[in-house]
Amino acid sequence: MVALGSGVAVSLGAVVRFLVPSVFYEPPQTFKIGNPADFPFGPPTFLADEKIFVFRDREKGFAVASAVCTHLGCTVGYFQSDQRFHCPCHGSVFAANGAVQHGPAPKALNWFEVTMTRDGQLRVDKDKVVPSNYRLMV
Amino acid sequence: MNLIREIWQSIVRRDPLSTDKGKSELVFLNVWLHIHPAKVKKENLRFRYTFYLGFITFFLFMILVTTGIALMCYYRPFPPQAYQDMKDLQFVVFMGPFLRSMHRWAAHAMVVCVFLHMCRVFYSGSYKKPRQFNWVIGVLLLLLTLGLSFTGYLLPWDQLAYWAITVGTNIGSYAPLVGGQVRELLLGGHTVGEAALIRFYVLHVAVLPSLMILLTVVHFWRIRKDGGLSRPTWRLKPSRPEALVTIGAPPETAPLKTVPASKDKTYGLMEVVTGKPIFETITPEEEEDAVFSYPYAFFREAIALMVTVTGIMAISLFFHAPLEALANPAKTPNPAKAPWYFLGLQELVSHSALLGGVVAPALMVLALLAIPYFDRNPSRRPSDRKWAIWLFTIFVVVNLVLIVIGTFFRGPGWAFVPPWVHVVAGAE
Repeated sequence: MVALGSGVAVSLGAVVRFLVPSVFYEPPQTFKIGNPADFPFGPPTFLADEKIFVFRDREKGFAVASAVCTHLGCTVGYFQSDQRFHCPCHGSVFAANGAVQHGPAPKALNWFEVTMTRDGQLRVDKDKVVPSNYRLMV
Repeated sequence: MNLIREIWQSIVRRDPLSTDKGKSELVFLNVWLHIHPAKVKKENLRFRYTFYLGFITFFLFMILVTTGIALMCYYRPFPPQAYQDMKDLQFVVFMGPFLRSMHRWAAHAMVVCVFLHMCRVFYSGSYKKPRQFNWVIGVLLLLLTLGLSFTGYLLPWDQLAYWAITVGTNIGSYAPLVGGQVRELLLGGHTVGEAALIRFYVLHVAVLPSLMILLTVVHFWRIRKDGGLSRPTWRLKPSRPEALVTIGAPPETAPLKTVPASKDKTYGLMEVVTGKPIFETITPEEEEDAVFSYPYAFFREAIALMVTVTGIMAISLFFHAPLEALANPAKTPNPAKAPWYFLGLQELVSHSALLGGVVAPALMVLALLAIPYFDRNPSRRPSDRKWAIWLFTIFVVVNLVLIVIGTFFRGPGWAFVPPWVHVVAGAE
């Protein structure tokens, strides 16, 4: 009985392991987004493929916010008119620093680490979530 | 001529259908037909007892399998090609739009019919002993129907598909402990992409239909074993107790040879060996009311089949399945709505993802599964079941109201917008 039970358990484990891909053919979490000069001051630049907003402030420097709503993963939009993020799916609203102001979203938008590489380009690492006051001064 | 007759006889191996023996043999010598009894109670076939909803649901499933296999010939489950193949089905493939529309409308109709069938079974008290577990199988079949609809939804790889699946799988990730892992397993990755499409395809064309067929067979088998279609027994005239004829084997203490027999009823070996498979006792008057399945039951089933198929065909001629723009992960349509049967869920989710998306649906499913074991009232007469009927009606109405709100009263940003107020599309 024990042998049979453990055999079944091992087989089930193998099935689950089989279904977890060993290689993810997905865009990398760390990527370069270009030179600092590519980004204007003022309203953030939306990078559609990476789903991020790149903020550039004259005094404070660069910051990168996630465009993925923390509720159910829809892509939020940034509106210059009220300087807030709005989610089209269920009406969540986030302040300019990412904090939830309205709607069903359970937590603030993520901010990602942005650094500079040797060749002078900006690099974003989506695996490294940073506080909303994180800035890269260029 | 003799050879032809001999070949035909070797295939059917029964007496001519003009004889009673032939009519019985047609049913029980045929592997497909013998899920029917050779004779049925004529009363059970009345349309207003069941509205044939179970039959219709099964026929819709048959349409879905047939059109689904046809569509598979022109579909490649990889991101850009999947959408191009949809366009081909829309504009290039002979009868492509018609087949795709049939598949779409039959799927929607199946969700409706499964739900109505569940209501019919509840209101007639047909889930009561000995059919409790068949109700449970029915609930699982309802979940499989929704699962098939959900997985089918991603396949066109248009905006609607992409965002419905993004939202849907994110709802799942709110499930405690395993939520995130289940989502990753389902998507084969962290976002809805190539891996997710192939996995949903495998689920949609292989895994879920197989489970559906297995459970459907059990569902039908148990109906047969439990005495056939469930009729409103409370409407039957009370019978004189001394005239009861028990179908099936006598109590274990009695010798087998005392099995009661009537002159025109054949007793199968199964009924003798398994004790008492049929729970209803029938009166001699009802025994006379029984008719041969051929042609009475088969004729009615054939009518239901033809009405279902022609109905879906007619709808598909005039209304084509929609197809939105190619999936664009960067731009969420506003409002992003799930298919109508999930809009009740989406309405709940817009208030709270954990409570509305996980807790409430889980409780609903558990409540449905528990109904036959929780409801100890043996009576099937509606006037004895006021509480049960009230509770179930509230359940049905709440679900319908949520769907109506989600469908007609939600505008951009999921704001409450009545359908008679015109919102300019794209207005921010």
